[in-house]
Amino acid sequence: MTETVLKLLAIAFLLAPLAVASTAPGRTETVLTQIVRSGFVIGRWSSLLLLLVQLSVVVLRSVFSVSFIWLQESALYLFGAIFLLSSGALLLMEGHVRVDILYTKLSETRKALVDLVGLSALVLPLAILIIWVSWSYVGTSWSQLERSSEPTGIHAVFLLKSMIPGFAVLIALAAEVRIIQIVRSLRGPTDA
Amino acid sequence: MLDEVILCLCACATWLDIAMVIVLCALLLAGFPAAFTLAGTALIFALIGLSMGVLDTAFITEPYPIRIFGIIKNQVLIAVPLFVLMGVVLERAKIAEELLETTARLFGPLPGGLGIGVMLVGALLAASTGIVGATVVTMGLLSLPTMLRRGYSPSLSAGSIAAAGTLGQVIPPSIVLILLGDVMSNAYQEAQISQGIFSPEPISVGDLFAGALIPGLVLVGIYLLFLVVIAGVRPSMSPAVPADDRYTLREALAAAAKTLPAPIFLIIAVLGSILTGTATATEASAIGAAGAFLIAGSKRTIARGIARQLAMGALISAVILFLLAANFDLRLGREAAFADQMAIYAAMAASLVLVAGLAASILSVAKDMLTPILDSTTRVTSMVFTILIGAALFSLVFRGLGGDETVAAALEAAPGGTFGALIAVMVVMFVLGFFLDFIEITLVVVPLVAPPLLMAGVDPVWLGALMAVNLQTSFLTPPFGFALFYLRGVAPPEVPTAAIYRGALPFVAIQVGMLILLGLFKPLATWLPNQIYG
Repeated sequence: MTETVLKLLAIAFLLAPLAVASTAPGRTETVLTQIVRSGFVIGRWSSLLLLLVQLSVVVLRSVFSVSFIWLQESALYLFGAIFLLSSGALLLMEGHVRVDILYTKLSETRKALVDLVGLSALVLPLAILIIWVSWSYVGTSWSQLERSSEPTGIHAVFLLKSMIPGFAVLIALAAEVRIIQIVRSLRGPTDA
Repeated sequence: MLDEVILCLCACATWLDIAMVIVLCALLLAGFPAAFTLAGTALIFALIGLSMGVLDTAFITEPYPIRIFGIIKNQVLIAVPLFVLMGVVLERAKIAEELLETTARLFGPLPGGLGIGVMLVGALLAASTGIVGATVVTMGLLSLPTMLRRGYSPSLSAGSIAAAGTLGQVIPPSIVLILLGDVMSNAYQEAQISQGIFSPEPISVGDLFAGALIPGLVLVGIYLLFLVVIAGVRPSMSPAVPADDRYTLREALAAAAKTLPAPIFLIIAVLGSILTGTATATEASAIGAAGAFLIAGSKRTIARGIARQLAMGALISAVILFLLAANFDLRLGREAAFADQMAIYAAMAASLVLVAGLAASILSVAKDMLTPILDSTTRVTSMVFTILIGAALFSLVFRGLGGDETVAAALEAAPGGTFGALIAVMVVMFVLGFFLDFIEITLVVVPLVAPPLLMAGVDPVWLGALMAVNLQTSFLTPPFGFALFYLRGVAPPEVPTAAIYRGALPFVAIQVGMLILLGLFKPLATWLPNQIYG
């Protein structure tokens, strides 16, 4: 029971920026954009670190027959960070592939409408769903401070799993930024 | 009245899975990013299913987070960002451009030579990027103007470039083959377990790489043969570079000696280590990406002085490390014989040089290219895996609605038994290839159609190779082929769209021939993996 209330509160909190945006759209947009972008920056540097870590694993194993489980496991954290934390930012940078056979031929207004419907009817519900279904999965992990199954691994599996709701939060915030931008551009001409 | 409505709804309920696919296709065409369209369609149908009482929430709430976590924990998929990184480094460091220039110099004096050069570079580059759009755009921008200037017919030029660019799908190590390998191995396990085999035989990405290699190379061979024949029969379509505009053989060879060995060596090292089983795809991808950085760092245009020497030293020490590891027992922490002890010291020294060289290369690249390189890597990786997250939800809901049984039943009902079902799948995938990219088809369609086919006894490696060649054909086929769209985008206006379409046709014919050949001679795909992995 309390869990359901907590989940609903979390989701309300996640969607709150949209309500705030009606009073202070510019400021909301800036703050949200910064949060989403910082996810991408983490992803960017994780990709370089992933190379270094994975290369060390290979050289140590194949040349010196040495392997460190924590080194191997750190690759998973970096790999997860690359795609889970940067996916939101891709929404802002037009990085997700579209089937653009028809889309490219639409007028700007129609494109904006497709995006508006997609963001609010597809992206936001997905984010809510992921938070809803991963709540107890991640919560259990936190309550036990879940350790790696290997004794010499990285004992922060709860952080690794937290990236799943993290992904949901970041795509939701990015969707909100886009929604604010699109609504402004659609309203633009009439306000001016 | 109400009874009738309920009855009607129940009848619809069994059709929900099919409706889901149709709605997905319609929504995808609207143009919203595919990853979220997949997930969103699944969500809508999950709600409909729940409200009609035909879907159990347990199909989603429990497994979905576990599926996503499964992606993170998947060692094989770590190869994707690293191969992307390798491709992006090679592209940004202008290594692809140099390769095209060099092969043009080397083969230009022959009739049809420029086309042959483009095809060879396509095969090489393909092996390193594996994204259709990227390769076609790069090659289109770099070689189309040259070929036109040298009097090549616009249709032949466009056709060769589109064909060369799509080779990336089939020739390992392409990222789609990694995804396909992962999906195929899950499907294969599932198929075996449902047949009551509880210690299923695994198949690996290495198997699929080995399986796709020969069909890929045969395809390159036939392409080249076609270009040579055209040069003989219709000399005006692909003339030789005129004599006064040629480089001397010595100049051409010098250019080749400077630019060709490093990328070829890199591809051989990466592919060789996977195919011989010395490294997993993931390990090889790290070697490949590091190698790409070192090659970039040893280029005069990118690095100077000490940094460049360190990068070249690192390339040499990588070879030394390999030789040492092959000939000595370098295990640490034991009483080693004198020779081994010396070898261990040498290996440590070589590793240090490697680290220094890599650091130097990354710093040289960092002056103006590192952020864009890492940005594209992150973008492509995130794009691929967001689709994977969306596709995971789609397939959970689709299965929850009984879709897997519908697909299995449909395949069983296909005329001509297993082979008929196989052909039906190929046709469906071919049509889907007109508006979905390889990644989406691999992640959405293959998990649905592969298990029933595999259960009917179809070889997984053969099936993977067939799918790869089939989709490559689809990308080349006018008027919808992806590769042609990308090429149209970068082709100069004097190349009419009709010429691009006409140019693609002979290559499509070759592809279809290859597909039939592969369908009739299974060993083309299965012989090499059997030789290597037994």
